[in-house]
Amino acid sequence: MNSAQIIIQIIIALVAIACAIPGTFLVLRKMSLISDAISHSILLGIVIGFFIVEDIASPLLIVLAALAGIVTVILVEYIQKTGLVKEDTAIGLVFPALFSIGVILIAKNANDVHLDIDSVMVGDLSFAPFDLLQINCIEGVPDSCINLGPKAIWVIGTILVITLTLLITFFKELKVSTFDAGLAAALGFSPIIMHYGLMTVSSITIVGAFDAVGPILVVALMIAPAATAYLMTKDLKKMLMLSCFLGVFAAISGYWLAHVLDASIAGSMTTVLAILFLLVYEPIITSALVSISIAIAFFFYQYYQELLVHGVNFEHLPLGEKIHTVFSKFILLDFIYCIGMAVSLAGFLIYILPKRGVIYGYYKVQQQKTEIMLLVFLLHIRNHEEESERHVKHLNEHINWQRLRSKTIVDLALKNNMVTIDDSIISLTDKGEEFTEKAIDYIITNKDAEIEEMKDDFFLFRG
Amino acid sequence: MKKQLFIFFLMLAFVSCKTEVKKRTGKLQIVTTTTMITDMLKNIGGDVVEVKGLMGSGVDPHLYKASEGDVSKLFNADVVIYNGLHLEGKLEDIFEKMQKQQKHIIAVSNAVNKNGLISSEYFASSYDPHIWFHIDYWKQATKYIIEELKKLDPTHTATFEENGKQYLEKLDALSEEVQKIIAQLPVEKRILVTAHDAFNYFGKLHNFEVVGLQGLSTATEAGVQDVQKLANFIIEKQVKAIFVESSVPKRTIKALQAAVRSKNYQVIIGGTLYSDALGNAGTEEGTYIGMYTYNVKTIVNALK
Repeated sequence: MNSAQIIIQIIIALVAIACAIPGTFLVLRKMSLISDAISHSILLGIVIGFFIVEDIASPLLIVLAALAGIVTVILVEYIQKTGLVKEDTAIGLVFPALFSIGVILIAKNANDVHLDIDSVMVGDLSFAPFDLLQINCIEGVPDSCINLGPKAIWVIGTILVITLTLLITFFKELKVSTFDAGLAAALGFSPIIMHYGLMTVSSITIVGAFDAVGPILVVALMIAPAATAYLMTKDLKKMLMLSCFLGVFAAISGYWLAHVLDASIAGSMTTVLAILFLLVYEPIITSALVSISIAIAFFFYQYYQELLVHGVNFEHLPLGEKIHTVFSKFILLDFIYCIGMAVSLAGFLIYILPKRGVIYGYYKVQQQKTEIMLLVFLLHIRNHEEESERHVKHLNEHINWQRLRSKTIVDLALKNNMVTIDDSIISLTDKGEEFTEKAIDYIITNKDAEIEEMKDDFFLFRG
Repeated sequence: MKKQLFIFFLMLAFVSCKTEVKKRTGKLQIVTTTTMITDMLKNIGGDVVEVKGLMGSGVDPHLYKASEGDVSKLFNADVVIYNGLHLEGKLEDIFEKMQKQQKHIIAVSNAVNKNGLISSEYFASSYDPHIWFHIDYWKQATKYIIEELKKLDPTHTATFEENGKQYLEKLDALSEEVQKIIAQLPVEKRILVTAHDAFNYFGKLHNFEVVGLQGLSTATEAGVQDVQKLANFIIEKQVKAIFVESSVPKRTIKALQAAVRSKNYQVIIGGTLYSDALGNAGTEEGTYIGMYTYNVKTIVNALK
């Protein structure tokens, strides 16, 4: 690692935290889209600033950019307050309008000046380490400046300190006004002030971070970590900490992904953010896909290196042919290794990931259904002394189960040593007896939740 | 939280943090921006310097996005050579700041006298940056770079001079060849319609009337009126062919062709010109000289 790489990682970690804090509140307030809206409408601020000072490098442009962001929020709030349109619609109405005014102003008045967001803000993390803050410069004298380190660290650092101070000071107020604006108003602190305060902080953070890391990454760092954290916890403090952690983690690992691939830094980070979200949202499918891609990439990379060492020159080939050349060197054994690696990785990922996701949810519901049926079945056996009621064939008619289902239930009961079958007559074992009795106790005393815990003690196999 | 830590360490396992050993071969480390400058430096420097280009073939300098590897290239560079005149956009500000960090920063466009540059209609201080299309300017730039290199690495003065002389001779030969080819084309047929205003110097040197659909910066879009006006112009002047550029999407030129066709006049797309970037490395068009000859041949063949 050289110092430029370290600086990039410091900057991106600071940006990730500075974005995650307002981002968490935006996600909770269902206002995620506002971050995208602000990052567009700042163009208008930049254009107006340019007409005032006629200098692209002036800091006034940045100030007006942040102001344009706040104007966006005020307009959205104003339209939405009428109650005629919903919040997301209001956002979608306001920012394209402001952005378009900016575009028209450029087209009419400054068509041959290279004026757009890119020309005022660097927006590329790769160059942030070289963009130093310099003071005391004497015009025309080299080495006369005092270097204070990268500008981005100063800008983002300041924003982060302000955000953190505000967060700690107004944490209680923010919390109440986010979850219950009515209560906040009744308790005497205006939810409107909280709202505009939060939006101002978001707007300044977006403009500041935009300069350092570019538009897509700002939006991604604001929303993705917070959305992921929201799936993992319902506690605000934990959510804030988790989204900071996830943001920094994705940023750093995304950086190294970019290093390995020699690709765009912002692109790699956003990809990692998306994968993190998917891992939490739908762990099983995602971990399988991720594992397969990692396994393939691993082998691909090794062959690529090997071919390079042997002096095969494919620098000039288009990407498709490059991939083809490398894959044509694969042999069957590699594919088997590849699959093995993918399977073991996927297993590991599934094992360590929180048990969530659509498939897991479906599986869980089915399991619950079967276990409730098992309980019904056991109760039935316990309540009937007469053999006719306990005959295997009889169960179908009596409890009105289909054959397949009743077979599943009986098998499950047998596997767990809860029943025995003599001459097609089912009877409870001692263990089955005990389980049923306890279950009845819990149902009578209204402690249904305890049954779940009890199942862990009794079941060798789950439904 | 334990689980999250677990994931963290797992991810770390896949990250190979191989520490980069700064290659110090003793050679002068030069980083260049556009492919044209990279080609020039490879010609002058030969084996005694190490040249690394930031932008690849087909990359529009206005819209260039850096990759992770570019950070290390810039970090390890002794010299950064760029085009200037706002071709590289915001990057130039950063280069200027790097100048104050003990790196040598050279703008190729400094070699050319400001009076010879084509300036913007409205803002006198901004110039057309596509100077490489004027072979004489490119020769001036070459001489300037040779002098600068001699200052930076005096031990290899002889090599730079020898290589530089050869390259300048090649450029002279190119100039003659190109003039011969263009002479086949009558002056009234010398109208060049392209996607963006990259060929103004080319037009100035070879007496072409140059019309770009998009203006100087490729970031702006062509307006509806621009397309209609240009379509009328093409019909009026009986232009035979219009051209697409390798670093600009074909869409706008296709739209222009359709607009012309709707007015019952046929104009063909004469081929792809290399404007802001050279062709793929290893091919003929991957060098400045090859690119120039290719462009001229394509233009003349299509307009003849």
